[in-house]
Amino acid sequence: MSRGSGSGYDRHITIFSPEGRLFQVEYAFKAVKASGITSIGVRGKDSVCVVTQKKVPDKLLDQTSVTHLFAITKYLGLLATGMTADARTLVQQARNEAAEFRFRYGYEMPVDVLSKWIADKSQIYTQHAYMRPLGVAAMVLGIDEENGPQLFKCDPAGHFFGHKATSAGLKEQEAINFLEKKMKNDPAFSYEETVQTAISALQSVLQEDFKATEIEVGVVRKENPVFRVLSTEEIDEHLTAISERD
Amino acid sequence: MGDSQYSFSLTTFSPSGKLVQIEYALMAVGSGQTSLGIKAANGVVIATEKKLPSILVDEASVQKIQPLTTNIGVVYSGMGPDFRVLVRKSRKQAQQYFRLYKEQIPVTQLVRETAAVMQEFTQSGGVRPFGVSLLVAGFDDDGPQLYQVDPSGSYFSWKASAMGKNVSNAKTFLEKRYTDDMELDDAVHTAILTLKEGFEGQISGKNIEIGIIGTDRNFRVLTPAEIDDYLAEVE
Repeated sequence: MSRGSGSGYDRHITIFSPEGRLFQVEYAFKAVKASGITSIGVRGKDSVCVVTQKKVPDKLLDQTSVTHLFAITKYLGLLATGMTADARTLVQQARNEAAEFRFRYGYEMPVDVLSKWIADKSQIYTQHAYMRPLGVAAMVLGIDEENGPQLFKCDPAGHFFGHKATSAGLKEQEAINFLEKKMKNDPAFSYEETVQTAISALQSVLQEDFKATEIEVGVVRKENPVFRVLSTEEIDEHLTAISERD
Repeated sequence: MGDSQYSFSLTTFSPSGKLVQIEYALMAVGSGQTSLGIKAANGVVIATEKKLPSILVDEASVQKIQPLTTNIGVVYSGMGPDFRVLVRKSRKQAQQYFRLYKEQIPVTQLVRETAAVMQEFTQSGGVRPFGVSLLVAGFDDDGPQLYQVDPSGSYFSWKASAMGKNVSNAKTFLEKRYTDDMELDDAVHTAILTLKEGFEGQISGKNIEIGIIGTDRNFRVLTPAEIDDYLAEVE
């Protein structure tokens, strides 16, 4: 069995290629894009909003069971872009970890601590051959007691950063270009502006106008720090406000 | 570590006697962002580029230079996630030493134990080597010290060193500028000038990180404002 010679297993498990790359990790990033959906997250002055496409491939499917937005605790939300099965296992483990944290230390797990935990777990899969990396990019959002609204993104390589705005999925780069222009001068968006920036970014990048049932929106606000998924009526209000504004 | 199904080493000898996985790991280090360290007569400085993938990233959430104990700090070139693992393991080892001996761990000991971890991952089953090289800066009873640790687990003490993308230019620059009787402030200026050499774009307190330790034996990372002050002095 040829091992580590550069032509052998460097594409099958996470060992280095001759140029020092990890092909399995790069393929995991491709798997995130292969899911075919795009997600966007925007951090405002006192709120965070995440938006993703809701593609229900079959009319016979129960739409309420198709979701990429998960509450990890009452106060922390997670938007998983990529392979749904990998997302569910990640969410399950994150929920467990957050609950144990609350029990062990007596206070709610902060956003950056959860993100670091997810990222460190992802790093293990990039270094140990027995588990492949997860094909999921996770956006974690919440209100931090000391630092206010926080949006973190964790990727299959084990990187995690705090973001003012970010994107993941098929049109990730186009969305980031759009958001960079919008956030260039460090604007401090209000709640409505935050949600509308996120939704209109998605609409612009995918070049289509959405119906309220075609997208999922999750928010946390300083005045009400629980993670909430918006109802179709609320999404409709925002969509109307965006079309009236333009 | 690893599953029993992977209880064979992934890092094996090639016919010419090389461990290619380690060489490839060094390639990963060589394509990472430049970092460097300088040992002065009364302290040590370590510095790195902090180029983030987008302006949307909150640069306050990223800290590439990390303290391991109150008197030892570390910077890396290569893969960030691998670095986090080593930081965590080293911090734990430092604490275990303190618990046993009720004394701060000497710099050489901590470096040796961290290097041993890195070596383990080149020999154990089912794992790949770490894709980082570390520069460890510390000040203990033996004075200021600077060590570089490579993915193979080998380490050396340096007067000044650099790693990452711009390593050859940076090392040449340091060789010219280094003097044995340098003071910490001079070393910081030299570090900034060295980073400036290979820097693409406008250098500022927000896209480089600097950590220093002096005779006070307190390792700390400079704030962006302090870095900007040093930059102004260098202009």
